[in-house]
Amino acid sequence: MLIITRRPGEKIVLGDDIVVTVMEISGQTARIGIAAPKAVPVYREEIWAAVKEENEAAASADPGALPPVPPQS
Amino acid sequence: MTTTIDSTRFGRIEVAPGSAIEFPNGLIGFDSRTFTLVARDAEDAFLWLQSLDDPELALPLTDPRRFFEGFALALGEGEFERLGLPADDDACEVYVTVRASERIEDCTANLRAPIVIADGRGHQVINHAEDAELRAPLFREAAAAGQAA
Repeated sequence: MLIITRRPGEKIVLGDDIVVTVMEISGQTARIGIAAPKAVPVYREEIWAAVKEENEAAASADPGALPPVPPQS
Repeated sequence: MTTTIDSTRFGRIEVAPGSAIEFPNGLIGFDSRTFTLVARDAEDAFLWLQSLDDPELALPLTDPRRFFEGFALALGEGEFERLGLPADDDACEVYVTVRASERIEDCTANLRAPIVIADGRGHQVINHAEDAELRAPLFREAAAAGQAA
Protein backbone atom coordinates (compact mmCIF):
# COMPACT_ATOMS: atom_id res chain seq x y z
CA MET A 1 0.00 0.00 0.00
CA LEU A 2 1.18 3.48 -0.86
CA ILE A 3 1.24 5.67 2.25
CA ILE A 4 1.31 9.46 1.89
CA THR A 5 1.33 12.13 4.59
CA ARG A 6 -1.00 15.05 3.87
CA ARG A 7 -2.06 18.18 5.74
CA PRO A 8 -5.52 19.73 5.69
CA GLY A 9 -6.12 21.38 2.33
CA GLU A 10 -3.65 19.13 0.55
CA LYS A 11 -4.76 16.73 -2.18
CA ILE A 12 -4.02 13.42 -3.82
CA VAL A 13 -4.69 12.80 -7.50
CA LEU A 14 -5.65 9.30 -8.72
CA GLY A 15 -5.20 8.92 -12.46
CA ASP A 16 -6.20 12.03 -14.39
CA ASP A 17 -9.64 12.66 -13.04
CA ILE A 18 -10.01 11.73 -9.38
CA VAL A 19 -8.92 14.20 -6.71
CA VAL A 20 -9.02 13.38 -3.00
CA THR A 21 -8.74 16.35 -0.65
CA VAL A 22 -8.06 16.23 3.09
CA MET A 23 -10.57 18.88 4.17
CA GLU A 24 -10.17 18.92 7.93
CA ILE A 25 -8.64 16.86 10.72
CA SER A 26 -10.16 16.98 14.16
CA GLY A 27 -9.08 14.48 16.79
CA GLN A 28 -9.74 10.99 15.42
CA THR A 29 -11.79 12.25 12.48
CA ALA A 30 -10.63 13.23 9.02
CA ARG A 31 -13.02 14.90 6.59
CA ILE A 32 -12.22 13.87 3.05
CA GLY A 33 -13.48 15.44 -0.16
CA ILE A 34 -13.60 13.35 -3.32
CA ALA A 35 -14.04 14.74 -6.81
CA ALA A 36 -14.57 11.94 -9.33
CA PRO A 37 -16.29 11.53 -12.72
CA LYS A 38 -20.02 10.84 -12.56
CA ALA A 39 -19.50 7.25 -13.69
CA VAL A 40 -17.30 6.39 -10.69
CA PRO A 41 -19.25 5.22 -7.65
CA VAL A 42 -17.79 6.20 -4.28
CA TYR A 43 -18.63 4.16 -1.18
CA ARG A 44 -17.73 4.16 2.47
CA GLU A 45 -15.76 0.92 2.74
CA GLU A 46 -17.86 -0.67 5.49
CA ILE A 47 -21.06 -0.15 3.49
CA TRP A 48 -19.44 -1.46 0.31
CA ALA A 49 -18.26 -4.60 2.17
CA ALA A 50 -21.63 -5.19 3.83
CA VAL A 51 -23.53 -4.84 0.54
CA LYS A 52 -21.05 -7.14 -1.20
CA GLU A 53 -21.69 -9.77 1.47
CA GLU A 54 -25.48 -9.41 1.14
CA ASN A 55 -25.29 -9.64 -2.66
CA GLU A 56 -23.17 -12.78 -2.48
CA ALA A 57 -25.51 -14.35 0.07
CA ALA A 58 -28.55 -13.48 -2.09
CA ALA A 59 -26.88 -14.98 -5.17
CA SER A 60 -26.25 -18.28 -3.41
CA ALA A 61 -29.98 -19.11 -3.21
CA ASP A 62 -31.82 -21.69 -5.28
CA PRO A 63 -35.34 -20.91 -6.50
CA GLY A 64 -36.75 -23.47 -4.07
CA ALA A 65 -35.18 -21.66 -1.11
CA LEU A 66 -37.63 -18.78 -1.26
CA PRO A 67 -40.55 -19.05 1.13
CA PRO A 68 -44.07 -19.24 -0.28
CA VAL A 69 -45.94 -15.96 0.11
CA PRO A 70 -49.70 -15.69 -0.29
CA PRO A 71 -50.79 -13.59 -3.29
CA GLN A 72 -51.55 -9.95 -2.59
CA SER A 73 -55.19 -9.27 -1.87
CA MET B 1 -31.50 -9.32 -31.47
CA THR B 2 -32.79 -11.85 -28.99
CA THR B 3 -30.18 -13.07 -26.52
CA THR B 4 -30.28 -16.62 -25.28
CA ILE B 5 -28.72 -17.79 -22.05
CA ASP B 6 -28.67 -21.26 -20.53
CA SER B 7 -29.13 -20.26 -16.92
CA THR B 8 -28.29 -22.81 -14.25
CA ARG B 9 -31.50 -22.09 -12.31
CA PHE B 10 -34.12 -21.54 -14.98
CA GLY B 11 -32.75 -23.35 -18.01
CA ARG B 12 -32.78 -21.62 -21.40
CA ILE B 13 -34.04 -18.04 -21.30
CA GLU B 14 -34.70 -16.01 -24.41
CA VAL B 15 -34.33 -12.32 -23.75
CA ALA B 16 -35.86 -9.81 -26.13
CA PRO B 17 -33.68 -6.73 -26.72
CA GLY B 18 -35.99 -4.49 -24.68
CA SER B 19 -35.80 -6.83 -21.68
CA ALA B 20 -32.06 -6.61 -21.13
CA ILE B 21 -31.04 -4.23 -18.35
CA GLU B 22 -27.62 -2.58 -18.42
CA PHE B 23 -25.95 -2.00 -15.08
CA PRO B 24 -23.09 0.40 -15.96
CA ASN B 25 -21.45 -0.22 -12.58
CA GLY B 26 -22.66 -3.78 -12.13
CA LEU B 27 -23.68 -4.99 -8.71
CA ILE B 28 -21.29 -4.61 -5.80
CA GLY B 29 -19.12 -7.73 -5.74
CA PHE B 30 -19.94 -9.01 -9.24
CA ASP B 31 -18.47 -8.34 -12.68
CA SER B 32 -21.67 -8.82 -14.70
CA ARG B 33 -23.04 -5.73 -16.41
CA THR B 34 -26.12 -7.07 -18.19
CA PHE B 35 -29.11 -8.65 -16.51
CA THR B 36 -32.76 -9.41 -17.07
CA LEU B 37 -35.69 -9.87 -14.72
CA VAL B 38 -37.13 -13.37 -14.51
CA ALA B 39 -40.58 -13.73 -12.99
CA ARG B 40 -41.76 -17.30 -12.65
CA ASP B 41 -45.33 -16.23 -11.99
CA ALA B 42 -46.80 -12.73 -12.15
CA GLU B 43 -48.33 -13.26 -8.71
CA ASP B 44 -45.05 -14.39 -7.16
CA ALA B 45 -43.66 -12.15 -4.41
CA PHE B 46 -40.13 -12.81 -5.64
CA LEU B 47 -38.45 -12.40 -8.99
CA TRP B 48 -34.87 -12.91 -10.07
CA LEU B 49 -32.23 -10.63 -11.50
CA GLN B 50 -30.51 -13.05 -13.88
CA SER B 51 -27.12 -12.16 -15.31
CA LEU B 52 -26.83 -12.43 -19.10
CA ASP B 53 -23.04 -12.65 -18.79
CA ASP B 54 -22.91 -15.44 -16.23
CA PRO B 55 -25.45 -18.30 -16.36
CA GLU B 56 -24.84 -19.08 -12.67
CA LEU B 57 -25.46 -15.58 -11.37
CA ALA B 58 -28.98 -14.64 -10.30
CA LEU B 59 -30.23 -12.76 -7.25
CA PRO B 60 -33.75 -12.99 -5.86
CA LEU B 61 -35.50 -9.63 -5.58
CA THR B 62 -38.74 -8.36 -4.23
CA ASP B 63 -40.76 -5.15 -4.22
CA PRO B 64 -39.85 -3.56 -0.86
CA ARG B 65 -43.27 -1.93 -0.56
CA ARG B 66 -44.93 -5.33 -0.53
CA PHE B 67 -43.19 -6.25 2.74
CA PHE B 68 -42.20 -2.92 4.29
CA GLU B 69 -45.00 -0.40 4.53
CA GLY B 70 -42.75 2.47 5.57
CA PHE B 71 -40.07 1.82 2.96
CA ALA B 72 -38.48 5.02 1.74
CA LEU B 73 -35.67 5.58 -0.73
CA ALA B 74 -33.34 8.47 0.09
CA LEU B 75 -30.34 8.89 -2.17
CA GLY B 76 -27.37 11.15 -1.55
CA GLU B 77 -27.50 14.67 -2.91
CA GLY B 78 -27.30 14.69 -6.69
CA GLU B 79 -27.37 10.87 -6.95
CA PHE B 80 -30.46 10.65 -9.17
CA GLU B 81 -28.86 13.11 -11.56
CA ARG B 82 -25.43 11.47 -11.36
CA LEU B 83 -26.93 8.10 -12.28
CA GLY B 84 -29.17 9.55 -14.98
CA LEU B 85 -32.31 8.38 -13.18
CA PRO B 86 -35.65 10.20 -13.23
CA ALA B 87 -35.59 12.49 -10.18
CA ASP B 88 -38.90 11.07 -9.01
CA ASP B 89 -38.49 7.54 -7.69
CA ASP B 90 -42.09 6.77 -8.70
CA ALA B 91 -40.79 6.78 -12.27
CA CYS B 92 -38.30 4.00 -11.40
CA GLU B 93 -38.79 0.35 -10.58
CA VAL B 94 -37.33 -0.24 -7.12
CA TYR B 95 -36.39 -3.70 -5.86
CA VAL B 96 -34.40 -5.07 -2.94
CA THR B 97 -32.23 -8.18 -2.86
CA VAL B 98 -33.41 -11.08 -0.75
CA ARG B 99 -31.29 -13.30 1.47
CA ALA B 100 -33.12 -16.64 1.56
CA SER B 101 -32.92 -19.03 4.47
CA GLU B 102 -34.35 -22.38 5.49
CA ARG B 103 -35.80 -20.65 8.53
CA ILE B 104 -38.52 -18.25 7.45
CA GLU B 105 -37.65 -15.88 10.30
CA ASP B 106 -34.11 -15.56 8.89
CA CYS B 107 -35.23 -14.46 5.41
CA THR B 108 -34.20 -10.84 5.02
CA ALA B 109 -34.17 -8.07 2.45
CA ASN B 110 -31.43 -5.50 1.99
CA LEU B 111 -33.19 -2.13 2.26
CA ARG B 112 -29.82 -0.36 2.48
CA ALA B 113 -28.84 -1.07 -1.13
CA PRO B 114 -31.90 -1.20 -3.39
CA ILE B 115 -31.80 -1.88 -7.13
CA VAL B 116 -33.27 0.97 -9.13
CA ILE B 117 -34.24 0.39 -12.77
CA ALA B 118 -35.40 2.94 -15.33
CA ASP B 119 -35.29 2.97 -19.13
CA GLY B 120 -33.37 -0.29 -19.44
CA ARG B 121 -30.62 0.76 -17.07
CA GLY B 122 -30.12 -0.36 -13.51
CA HIS B 123 -28.10 0.75 -10.52
CA GLN B 124 -27.55 -0.59 -7.05
CA VAL B 125 -27.77 2.50 -4.89
CA ILE B 126 -27.06 3.26 -1.24
CA ASN B 127 -30.25 4.19 0.60
CA HIS B 128 -29.61 6.89 3.21
CA ALA B 129 -33.04 6.57 4.84
CA GLU B 130 -32.38 6.16 8.56
CA ASP B 131 -34.33 2.95 9.07
CA ALA B 132 -33.02 1.23 5.92
CA GLU B 133 -31.73 -2.02 7.39
CA LEU B 134 -29.13 -4.19 5.69
CA ARG B 135 -31.01 -7.29 6.86
CA ALA B 136 -34.65 -6.44 7.34
CA PRO B 137 -36.70 -9.56 8.25
CA LEU B 138 -39.28 -10.22 5.53
CA PHE B 139 -41.57 -11.84 8.05
CA ARG B 140 -41.41 -9.67 11.18
CA GLU B 141 -43.90 -11.74 13.14
CA ALA B 142 -42.03 -14.97 12.55
CA ALA B 143 -38.76 -13.24 13.44
CA ALA B 144 -40.22 -11.81 16.66
CA ALA B 145 -41.66 -15.21 17.61
CA GLY B 146 -38.29 -16.82 16.91
CA GLN B 147 -36.55 -14.39 19.22
CA ALA B 148 -39.12 -14.87 21.97
CA ALA B 149 -38.83 -18.68 21.84
